[in-house]
Amino acid sequence: MSILALETSCDDTCAAVIDADGSIRANVISSQLAHEEFGGVVPEIASRQHLEHVNAIVERALSSASIGLGDVRLVAATQGPGLVGALLVGLSTAKGLAAARELPFAAVDHLQGHVAANFLRAAEDSAAPTGFEPPFLCLIASGGHTLLVHVREHDGFEVLGRTLDDAAGEAFDKGARMLGLGYPGGAALERLASGGDPSAFAFPGSRGERARGGRGAQRQAFAQGLDFSFAGLKTALLYRLRELSAAQAREQAADLAASFQAAIVDSLIERAERGLQRTGMERLAVGGGVAANGALRERLAKLGVELHVPPRVLCTDNAAMIASAARYCDQIAYPHYLSLDAYATGEATR
Amino acid sequence: MIVLGLDTATHCTAVALRTAAGETLSARDDPAPGEHPGHATRLLGMADELLGKAGLGWSDIQRIAVGIGPGRFTGLRVGISSARALAQSLEVELVGVSSLRALALAASAPDGTPRPVIAVIDARRGEAFAAAYAAGADFAGERGDGSQQMEGELAFPRPLTVEALAGIVEAIDRDGAAPGQRWLAVGDGALHFREQLEASGAEVAPKDSPLHRIDGAAVCELGTTVAAPRSYEAVIPDYRRSPDAALARERVPAGGSAAAA
Ligand SMILES: [Zn+2]
Repeated sequence: MSILALETSCDDTCAAVIDADGSIRANVISSQLAHEEFGGVVPEIASRQHLEHVNAIVERALSSASIGLGDVRLVAATQGPGLVGALLVGLSTAKGLAAARELPFAAVDHLQGHVAANFLRAAEDSAAPTGFEPPFLCLIASGGHTLLVHVREHDGFEVLGRTLDDAAGEAFDKGARMLGLGYPGGAALERLASGGDPSAFAFPGSRGERARGGRGAQRQAFAQGLDFSFAGLKTALLYRLRELSAAQAREQAADLAASFQAAIVDSLIERAERGLQRTGMERLAVGGGVAANGALRERLAKLGVELHVPPRVLCTDNAAMIASAARYCDQIAYPHYLSLDAYATGEATR
Repeated sequence: MIVLGLDTATHCTAVALRTAAGETLSARDDPAPGEHPGHATRLLGMADELLGKAGLGWSDIQRIAVGIGPGRFTGLRVGISSARALAQSLEVELVGVSSLRALALAASAPDGTPRPVIAVIDARRGEAFAAAYAAGADFAGERGDGSQQMEGELAFPRPLTVEALAGIVEAIDRDGAAPGQRWLAVGDGALHFREQLEASGAEVAPKDSPLHRIDGAAVCELGTTVAAPRSYEAVIPDYRRSPDAALARERVPAGGSAAAA
């Protein structure tokens, strides 16, 4: 029995096929490059590109899984949260594919998908990931979302903390742009940071800044909670860059990048650590594009808990994670899913 | 030929099913002006209902016809992505038809006598998507993916300002569509710009006239006569307007960056 899933919540057009036991048969991701020149994802462009490519991506997923639509027993798609216009292309396509064959349908929450990426296991390829079973805490950090959740069952999660403003990946990209690294610049910022001193500048959220009793330490409720905030960090970098001459900024670019990255990583690690303590959990999983960051991975490994980091391709947006979540959510029989609409915001908290 | 016709170019959602006997069953959803369109929530459900009424199943469908606009971007994508997926899953032909032609076809001979028609779809921002059709225009002559011009059609590749729209009506009127016949303007854009269209000499159909709404049966009819493109993937929306970000970028002088802020 195969599950076909689609994911089009942002700027990646994704389709995947997994088996009923959660092994991945195909995981196709088509990333849109058209947004780079605009310095961010343009929703209308994303939606147009999804529509152009979505059927071919489905075709590629089916053929690399060596199956046809006739072998599909369940169709799934991301219903939200995300860009509604983009979501509607994947959701409408998935509904159409399923309706024509009167197949059952699963409408998946994108964040539940990131959690479920951890449940995926190897097919026959030994290099493929192994499944990680609940209960565990999951830190999801990407360009669109940053949250810490408690996963008790396969089909839901409790939000322990979430970002109050920017997402962690968004902070990476904005910082990179300020440092002249282009868009999306998260990976470039990480490369630049690797040659810098992370303690050169004390940015909000970093350990150095807290040790000196900075602004972050004064906001007690926030500082002791599990929510995240990255907007102040972006502003702090902007001020630092204004203070420095162009030559100084060039000279200290690596230190600035390293310190900026450290502030993000510190704040992610601190919340994760606190969450683990408060729940008494000793198992941690991650999801989202920021999980690919080397500095974050290094620090996560030092937490001393059982850690599961899916391969990068399953951390960033993909449809295999949506198919994985679909294994555990309610299957909607034909024709009851025909009226499903996409949603922009909100989280499935069961 | 059993044809399923869909259109989501405007606020409305239109579906029709043409049976092997040539009968056409229609269903539609016309939300009130402020209400959310039912494109995502109603389209496939109405198709399912029509199939049920006709005693047919999805696998009986031989061809799908979908309105490719111009119109609302998100609506068009819901209709076209649904249609493309159905075609992919059913392995049947998909044809895209102009939503303006579908609108004009239904109004082209309202009482049996051919009439010159201007189809106007509201493009918002004070603009309209429009096309003019001479009396007796050959709708059966539509070809391919709906992007090609047909005999008797005056089409405009861009949204028109209301002044341009009124100017065009006056200009084509001078050329003489048919003696003694006024242009009949239909569509949500005709309602929106009634004043300007009437001032320029066109007749706008009465407010409650069904001619202002795209009929799924017209989509089926146009979709039955045209040749299908080689692949369902050739069927894409007729946007006629670039995304705002791209437009903003075009206005930035060379070397500048719209995204610098
Ligand atoms: Zn994501």
